[in-house]
Amino acid sequence: MTQANKKRRVDLYALTWRLPIIVWQFLFFVGPLVFLIAMSFFVVKNYRMVETFELASWERILSRDYFWSSYLYTFGMATFATVLATMLAFPASFALAFKVSANTRRWAMFFLIVPFFTSYLVKTFSWYVILAKTGVVNSLFGYLGLGPYTLLNTWIGTMVGFMTLVLPLLVLLQTLSLSQVDKNLIEAAHNLGSGRFRTIFNVIVPSAKIGLIVGALFCFILSFGDFVSPYYLGGSTPQTLSILIIDTTKSGNQWPRAAVVAICMMVTLFVIAFTSIVFAYRKPKS
Amino acid sequence: MVNPDRPLVQFKNVVKRFGNFVALKSTDLDIHEGEFVALMGPSGCGKTTTLRLLAGLEKPSEGEITLGGKLMNDVKAHERETPLVWQSLALFPFMNARENVEFGLKMRGFNADVRREKAIDWLERLGMEEFIERDVSQLSGGQRQRVALARALVTEPKILLLDEPLSALDAHLVIRMQGVLSKLQRELGITFVYVTHSQSEAFAMADRVVIMGDGEVMQIGTAREIYRTPKNRFVAEFVGRNNIISGTVTSAHTDTLIVNTACGDFTVSKPDDLVFKQNDPITFSVSADLVTIDVDRPETDNVVQCNLISEEFVGSVVTLFLEAADGTELKVQVQEKELQKINPKADIPYYISWPTLSAHVLDANLPG
Repeated sequence: MTQANKKRRVDLYALTWRLPIIVWQFLFFVGPLVFLIAMSFFVVKNYRMVETFELASWERILSRDYFWSSYLYTFGMATFATVLATMLAFPASFALAFKVSANTRRWAMFFLIVPFFTSYLVKTFSWYVILAKTGVVNSLFGYLGLGPYTLLNTWIGTMVGFMTLVLPLLVLLQTLSLSQVDKNLIEAAHNLGSGRFRTIFNVIVPSAKIGLIVGALFCFILSFGDFVSPYYLGGSTPQTLSILIIDTTKSGNQWPRAAVVAICMMVTLFVIAFTSIVFAYRKPKS
Repeated sequence: MVNPDRPLVQFKNVVKRFGNFVALKSTDLDIHEGEFVALMGPSGCGKTTTLRLLAGLEKPSEGEITLGGKLMNDVKAHERETPLVWQSLALFPFMNARENVEFGLKMRGFNADVRREKAIDWLERLGMEEFIERDVSQLSGGQRQRVALARALVTEPKILLLDEPLSALDAHLVIRMQGVLSKLQRELGITFVYVTHSQSEAFAMADRVVIMGDGEVMQIGTAREIYRTPKNRFVAEFVGRNNIISGTVTSAHTDTLIVNTACGDFTVSKPDDLVFKQNDPITFSVSADLVTIDVDRPETDNVVQCNLISEEFVGSVVTLFLEAADGTELKVQVQEKELQKINPKADIPYYISWPTLSAHVLDANLPG
């Protein structure tokens, strides 16, 4: 058997195993995506979609201030959620990776997975009880003679929802990547005169860079596209892009305009994801 | 360069426990300025723990460690000037060669220009001028070794700690790096503390060798002292190839003792520091390279008749393993070219013998 023949056989074997996921992706990702792009050029006449190729929806959406303010708000909230979650998660992940016993770490990992047992929607509704005017938080403030504060239907409510969504996942991802950091490198840094705190930034963060960035990327993607928190806890004001999509489809059956918003979101996420991954794997050049 | 009056490092009754495990039993150790000391022993003997205690990576459970006269027990690792070259080298993979070398200087607040200049100087000194901006992952084992050395030495320490730094290198590179290290230590005149399990590395480089076993210092001395006059059974077994024979003293003369053992009566020189009376148990060692093997019985003292069991050929030297009538195992090292005269065969009796001065009495009261 020649080398070429052998190689082809191996490829066929590998392809057989890959086939299901390739078929799946074509049917349920590439297909709908192509349809979504096509739909953004359709027009709606008398509440009915007409298959055509016009730029009307694009022109309409991209020229409206409400789209851009919603875009900025969504982007800003997702960015803030990413920064906040990363900062909140890091000390916990650091402690789990370096300061506790292997047994404690195992249990912590287990309890970080538990939140995923219940639906995100259920968790979101339980925040109602906590954040409402007469809820747990305001009662506590009441004892201190403060409040009541409006927490629901504000950006604070949305942010609380985002944290609920991303923190367990982020701590999990960060802990896994921090535990991979070579302990010798940490000791080497101490040995060369780097104190504990400096070593975190000198050695630990650069060593775990890929995992930390991927974690942050997940935060951004989940918060940017989330519908539940801004809708139920944020009260849809200001509107995020995901809420805008729903509203657009409801009002006058404007699926093409909704498709334009969706494509804008996907392009944004694509650019963010791509640059993050490039940055994560980039070799530092000095 | 060795200045015996001024110990740079002193361990006083230092004990290190990890939970119930005692890694280092009460240890006293002086290391002098400008000295190349090798800590040598099998794995788990406490040599790396000793080094880590010195670097502040472990805290002593008991006792005192001083460096340059200053008590170090509570000084944190990053506040010490005790750079260590790691077995794994522990170079920072996200930095290039120069940035790795600059790290210690950066932590000490040197400005960028000074850092760069010093780092480049050191890399050039170690023959790395072509690889200054090279990524660590693109360097060979020997080159990484040099980066690790430069990184440790760039802060101009008084002492350098090395934890089996050559154990990951190819045999021919080990020899070359031994030369580099010896030369460097002589030129800098600073103290090197070198942990190794390799006798050849320790003996080739060190001014003094510290043999450790089971969490204790077994013997301290020059390579020759340790090789020729092992203090106790542990050292005799760990270092070199020694025949270790036990028996009882049958009579004591002015300079010699007559020892009765299972494989015969032998004459040994009276040790200076130990007293033996009649019927005392005694153990002595004879280095395998000081033993002679003959086909005909020689007319001397200290002769054992035995049979050849096996031979081990490692190049110019061959070790023959023999067995006396009572089952005592004996070893002889001979030059390969000499071996041809004997023409070893398993089925004929051989006579092995050694001069009385070659037998060295071990101290049975010492641990090991």
